[in-house]
Amino acid sequence: MLRFWLQAAAVAGVYAALTMALAPFSYGPVQVRVSESLTVLPYFTPAAVPGLFIGCLISNAVMSPYPLDFIVGSAATLGAALLSYALRRIPWLVPLPPVVVNGAAIGAMLYYLYGVRPPGVPTALSLPADMGFVAIGEAIACYAIGLPLLKYLERHRRIFEY
Amino acid sequence: MIRDITLGQYYPEYSIIHKLDPRLKLVVTLVYIASLFIIEDFFGYIIVAAAIFAVIAASRVPPRFVMRGLKPILIIIIFTFALNIFMTSGDVLWEYGWLHVTRQGLYTAFFMALRLILLIVGSSLLTLTTKPMKLTDGIESLLTPAKKLGVPTHELAMMMTIALRFIPTLLEETDKIMKAQQARGADFETGSIFRRVKALVPILIPLFVGAFRIAQDLAMAMEARCYRGGEGRTKLNALKFKRRDLAAAFVSAGYVAAIIMERILL
Repeated sequence: MLRFWLQAAAVAGVYAALTMALAPFSYGPVQVRVSESLTVLPYFTPAAVPGLFIGCLISNAVMSPYPLDFIVGSAATLGAALLSYALRRIPWLVPLPPVVVNGAAIGAMLYYLYGVRPPGVPTALSLPADMGFVAIGEAIACYAIGLPLLKYLERHRRIFEY
Repeated sequence: MIRDITLGQYYPEYSIIHKLDPRLKLVVTLVYIASLFIIEDFFGYIIVAAAIFAVIAASRVPPRFVMRGLKPILIIIIFTFALNIFMTSGDVLWEYGWLHVTRQGLYTAFFMALRLILLIVGSSLLTLTTKPMKLTDGIESLLTPAKKLGVPTHELAMMMTIALRFIPTLLEETDKIMKAQQARGADFETGSIFRRVKALVPILIPLFVGAFRIAQDLAMAMEARCYRGGEGRTKLNALKFKRRDLAAAFVSAGYVAAIIMERILL
């Protein structure tokens, strides 16, 4: 069991380190959080679920300019990781939950709590636009990096044994 | 680039705010955030601003250091401010072509900008005055009731502590891998965002494999020392709720009472 938790800590550490190392792209309405590509990890191990949650919690607590990201963003990541774990039998669907859940949750948070209105978008469409921008960033991270990562790590499955 | 990153934004000082119990600070921060959302007019914000200035002064953290937290979202604040001014309908005060400034727009713009500024300044005081390790201890202690529901609180806190310890090592590792890849001709700085993001895959894999190796070694070291966690484990620096924490709790209750009174009376 100890190995399970330490694997989770490793996932959390990599998530937080990557978010911080690439900080300017990691927060806000137009974000490509490269660390979100790690959301494919529940495909390999359930330890990734608490790992992603804690990694996101740490990154948002210490670096995010949006303090409520600490609660909303981390809860969204946990929800998405659980869904990804549930979908682990269909590899190409594994990166989908973070795109949908984060797009909806972070977009709604930016709109309702921080009043973020994307430029050049009619006011009535601001909420879907906020959600859409976050979802696009997520999709780039999860599908452009996450899916190749998943395929590569598939060949090295034994590192996930505990 | 990576070396410039400080973990969190803790500002070391010997102030009363720094010495307060992290559990109290966490709860007060959550109450503070909630209080910002029940305020409906500027009078409420005067109370909040006075409270925040008092806490900043007591914490001895230089105000410019506290305000630094606003830098990353300055553009968003300005943009939201401008949008609220020009796009809110109501009693027109000034008009030029399709642009119009309304009384309601001005009110909403200042109101939202102030809320955002107070939200960020207030909550960044928590991380400025509390060490990350103390924060995790506080979170573990606050989550104790969840243990009865089967939530592995000790394990989550242990994981958080280890992850925090991993971060500087992994940041250094990321830097090393990036330089090694660049020396082999990897290009992270040109091309479309799609291309640049994809170029990061060769960094992720060695970083990830390295982190898992560290975790394996650590697990072995902990098992060799008979770590079994949870029940009966003692702490070197146990959290104690002292008299000063009680006094701070009363002051915070006074703040909440003032906000509620303001809402009822004005």
